[in-house]
Amino acid sequence: MPDIRHTHILKVHHLSLSFPTRKNPDPAPVLNDVDFSVRDGEILGLIGNSGSGKTMTAMAIAGLLPEGAVITGGSIKFAGRDLVSMSAKNRRKLAGKDIGVIFQEPMTALDPLMKIGKNLEEVLIAHGEKDKAKRHDKICSMLKTVGFPDPESVITRYPHQLSGGQRQRILIASAALMSPRLLICDEPTSSLDTVTTVQILGLLKDLCRSMHMTILFISHDLSAVKNFCDRVMVMKEGRIIDKDNTMDLLSHPKNGYTAELLTNARLDPRILGLERAMVDYTKSPILMTHELNAGYDNARSILKDVDLKIYPHEILGLIGSSGCGKTTLTKAILGIIPHTGDIKYKDSHIGAVFQDPVSCLNPAHTIRWHLTEPLKAAGIKLTKEETEKRILSALFEVGLDEKYLNRRPRQLSGGQRQRVAIAMCLMLDPKLIVADEPFSSLDASSAAEILKLLTDINREKGTSFLLITHNIHIVRQIAPRVVVMDSGRIVEEGLTGDILTSPKSEAAIKLLTAEKELHGSN
Amino acid sequence: MTETTGRNMRYLAIKLLELLATLLLVSFLTFAAFSIIPGDAAGIMLGPNASPEQIARLRTELGLDKPVIVQYINWLGGAFTGNLGTSVAYKLPVISLIAERLPVTIGMSVIATVMVIVISYPLAILSARKPGRIGDQVCSFLGHVLFAVPPFVLSLLLIIFTAKFLNIFTVGRYAPPSKDPGMFIGSLILPSFAIALPKIAMTFKFMRSAIIEQNNSEYVKTAKSHGLGNIKILMTHVLPNSNVSSITILSLVLSDILGGSLIVEQVFNLPGLGRLLLSAIARRDFPLLSGMVFYLALITVVLYFAADILAGLADPRIRLK
Repeated sequence: MPDIRHTHILKVHHLSLSFPTRKNPDPAPVLNDVDFSVRDGEILGLIGNSGSGKTMTAMAIAGLLPEGAVITGGSIKFAGRDLVSMSAKNRRKLAGKDIGVIFQEPMTALDPLMKIGKNLEEVLIAHGEKDKAKRHDKICSMLKTVGFPDPESVITRYPHQLSGGQRQRILIASAALMSPRLLICDEPTSSLDTVTTVQILGLLKDLCRSMHMTILFISHDLSAVKNFCDRVMVMKEGRIIDKDNTMDLLSHPKNGYTAELLTNARLDPRILGLERAMVDYTKSPILMTHELNAGYDNARSILKDVDLKIYPHEILGLIGSSGCGKTTLTKAILGIIPHTGDIKYKDSHIGAVFQDPVSCLNPAHTIRWHLTEPLKAAGIKLTKEETEKRILSALFEVGLDEKYLNRRPRQLSGGQRQRVAIAMCLMLDPKLIVADEPFSSLDASSAAEILKLLTDINREKGTSFLLITHNIHIVRQIAPRVVVMDSGRIVEEGLTGDILTSPKSEAAIKLLTAEKELHGSN
Repeated sequence: MTETTGRNMRYLAIKLLELLATLLLVSFLTFAAFSIIPGDAAGIMLGPNASPEQIARLRTELGLDKPVIVQYINWLGGAFTGNLGTSVAYKLPVISLIAERLPVTIGMSVIATVMVIVISYPLAILSARKPGRIGDQVCSFLGHVLFAVPPFVLSLLLIIFTAKFLNIFTVGRYAPPSKDPGMFIGSLILPSFAIALPKIAMTFKFMRSAIIEQNNSEYVKTAKSHGLGNIKILMTHVLPNSNVSSITILSLVLSDILGGSLIVEQVFNLPGLGRLLLSAIARRDFPLLSGMVFYLALITVVLYFAADILAGLADPRIRLK
């Protein structure tokens, strides 16, 4: 509902965008008649599945469109000036000064060769701050604002010496340094853990209020949007199909697609039809570790005396904030890194599914090649017919069919790639599959599908899962037992219901507080 | 800061130890190789009519009758004190023979290296600006061609072209640097260019893809969002990051240039190390031969050492690991 009391800082008017080529001069538009306004001082959320055009919209406003993108119609008015027809030189004057951008991946968004101080100073120099002492003061006070109490020590550091959350703070500092009127945040928290996400969102909200910034917040994390944004827009296939106040839109969606998106994001086991296998805890564990220690160099062990049991048919949840040793534990179990201590496993193969299905598959090879690879690696020799039979059954189990066999990874969506990764595990029919953040690079709809697939495999084949995730909601829904890690140790373990309602360890309390803050009480 | 300095010193010390170890290994292998290949220095020096007694006496004089390992240790002791022995064929200290020829080889290498950097970097930057454009495609095609042609063929083509058609170059005109520095450098330019051309092609190809990769990186996007201009982003972000990997390639290019100069100076009839090396092999002049191989290995190893240090300077992630 438009409110005439507000002035609009940004007006996107019937914007269309496509990637024309010489062969196809008039392709299907990536953005199709996108039309919205952002009010001065508000936080406007933009949600939708991958490929819906969220990022392209943001980049069009920020003037950072990729090579080949052409705006075919419409206008973008920022504070009354049209950005589409503006010269590159004038746009550069706006960039960083009046429009700031924060990106998704803090690990790669900072120049690895440049010290933090220099990185920040560049922004000030580019916008004409000539006095060196003034620059230094401004950088220090901004670093304090974003949560570095001792800015002098941060200035001389390199990006690789900081954690992901710290780097995201630096990027926020660099974007906010010139007090821009509009801050575009493109999935700023999706690579961060829950605790850090809550901190970063809090920081952005503070900045928004204290510096009178307007924020365009793009995310596929609906719980972040719910607590953070004043208004929300929903995008699908390059169009904005729904917009409303956050509360109205999220609690009483009128649009059918929005309702579907919300259902998927809630990962409700009844609606998704999740049904997991029954676990018999009197049986002997399928995997047992005893005093497991492991690390990346001999001097320093990251895991400290980890005793872990996984029972047959069980989905065991493993939670903890970034850097607690979750991934190191999976690597040690999979035998990728050296360890001391015992790992007893009753079967010969352990399947593994990782976070990023893009980099886990070899772009040069077909899906068929990927599915035969586990057999070769395990030294299993089958006849051609047997191999073909096994490939097809693995493929059907993950909900794909034979027409995918000759495609290459880039021809698949993120969710489909994750399915291929799971099918690769199934080729060896392991009793245990380790899944390290298998949902976090997927949008809500694909995540819901993969989650359903994992529980189906668990129920139908009795496969055990070690499920590592920073999404406590998912753990609550599908894992009967949960293990909490902190600084390389298991600090708490037990039935999911018990731990999530009355956590005892400091790490678990911290995680759950952050989760509650982010997701509300449901 | 002191912790960082300590780490830097340790990095330097490790690299120095690696350098010494490599040098020892290379010298041992050369020495071993030369004692295995057939042919006897004493026999060749005295000619086919020498009696076995004469040959035996000369072998004792040269120390060739001692076990190889003793010969090696004696030679190594000399090498590290700057005494590489006396050439059997020239009857002159090996050091002074090498010193006399070195200016040509080093001069050519330096000029070729400067050419590689001065020509390939700007071309790579221009090409990478708009990959796939006509200019980029022409450069890439020329790069492929030049990369495939060996330097001695290029030398001949260059001689024919410049001497015959342009008439600006006379083959065989050479003056030592002490007599006529101008003519010395002038006589080296064309051969240096012949060595440099394939390396320009190689460095261009490499730098071009390195720059394109950096242009597409996330931090370049961040820099653009900060309002930095294209030239500023190129100079402060893209080039330093491309350089990290190009330092390693450049050190390979440099040692290739050194090897290439040995061949090309034959074609251009220049008195460099190449000709000395050939004659030493033909006459089984072991002291000269092992001295030269040791010297060339030293230069190469020092180059790699310098590359490692530069890579550490350019990239804090290597230095502070």
